[in-house]
Amino acid sequence: MKEELAQRLVRGLKDAGVDFVSYLPETRLSQIVPLIRDDPAVELIPAASEQEAVTIAVGATLGGKQGAVYMENTGVYVSSYSLLVTGKQLGVPILLVIGYLGGVPDQRNSFLYATIGKHTVPVLEGLGIEYQIIEDGQKLENKIRDAVRAANAQRAPYALLFAGEFSE
Amino acid sequence: MIRHACLELLAGKMTDQLVVTSQSGQRIEWAQISRHEGNLLLGMMGCAIGVATGLALALPQRKVIALDSDGSVLLSLFNLATLGNLRPKNLVVYIFDNGVYSGSRISYPTATAGNTDLAAMARAAGISNACTITEITEFESKGIGALTSNELGFFVCKVDESLLHREISRPNTDLAENKYTFVRYLERTEGKIFPLVGRG
Repeated sequence: MKEELAQRLVRGLKDAGVDFVSYLPETRLSQIVPLIRDDPAVELIPAASEQEAVTIAVGATLGGKQGAVYMENTGVYVSSYSLLVTGKQLGVPILLVIGYLGGVPDQRNSFLYATIGKHTVPVLEGLGIEYQIIEDGQKLENKIRDAVRAANAQRAPYALLFAGEFSE
Repeated sequence: MIRHACLELLAGKMTDQLVVTSQSGQRIEWAQISRHEGNLLLGMMGCAIGVATGLALALPQRKVIALDSDGSVLLSLFNLATLGNLRPKNLVVYIFDNGVYSGSRISYPTATAGNTDLAAMARAAGISNACTITEITEFESKGIGALTSNELGFFVCKVDESLLHREISRPNTDLAENKYTFVRYLERTEGKIFPLVGRG
């Protein structure tokens, strides 16, 4: 991902009101981590599992933050339980910022990731979590703002799956 | 040691703390003992410590309490490593460890009935103030005492298996109602509108 895209992604999160991010790092979007870490306006909390990252973001959101979770799409599988019971069942809006490995638009797709990518969207749909796949920087800030607004309106997690230019 | 007796002691110390419970007997017993608006009675296992951690980080001026069980913590052992490094000073975790999956109704033993020591695991993960409590007097001195300290506390409270929670009424507030009561209480006491609620 070009540095400019990483900067726009982080700025887009901030402009949308996101002030708390729990995360496990991955490869495609990892440039956003130091940018968030260096920004005092956003609290960045490392977790040991995506399942945990979701529960921490849910707790922070209940505590008044606009919470987000940054993870690889493998984390959707790992965290599906906490997404369902704390995100959906309890009805807590969190933004999911997901590196979408193995999907068709993943520019670094290979046999290692294809199966992971193929099942990501069906799993999100099975969980009832709305999503958008973002492949380039066109209207990026608007898409992030729309996603946060949708999460808050629906009192539910909303997922942004980043691929295409974000996976270069 | 009986869990209900521990919870009664704890309830007597409640002021403006926030309490997050996992699903199992302590959720039912705590809901009967305490009608505090700052109670968040989660309906699932393996999530209470994570949610309590997020609350503690978002509201560093508030004391946050997690009420959990051995079976639930065994589902989310990753919490130990994260707490051991974050060490939120305003979080106190009580694990009511009865050594069985009591909800299974066959009292099937958990790992803590065997060789697993959750307090030792917590200390090894970096939670320095982690210990096992076996007596109610110790629960009062160490466990309740931690509410006034400025340090992450992690207390594995060894309790007898009790079926009391099956004899008392389950909470009649659903998860959504509990959530809104909890968040409205926070909004009122924190003096601000939370994004989660927003305006219609």
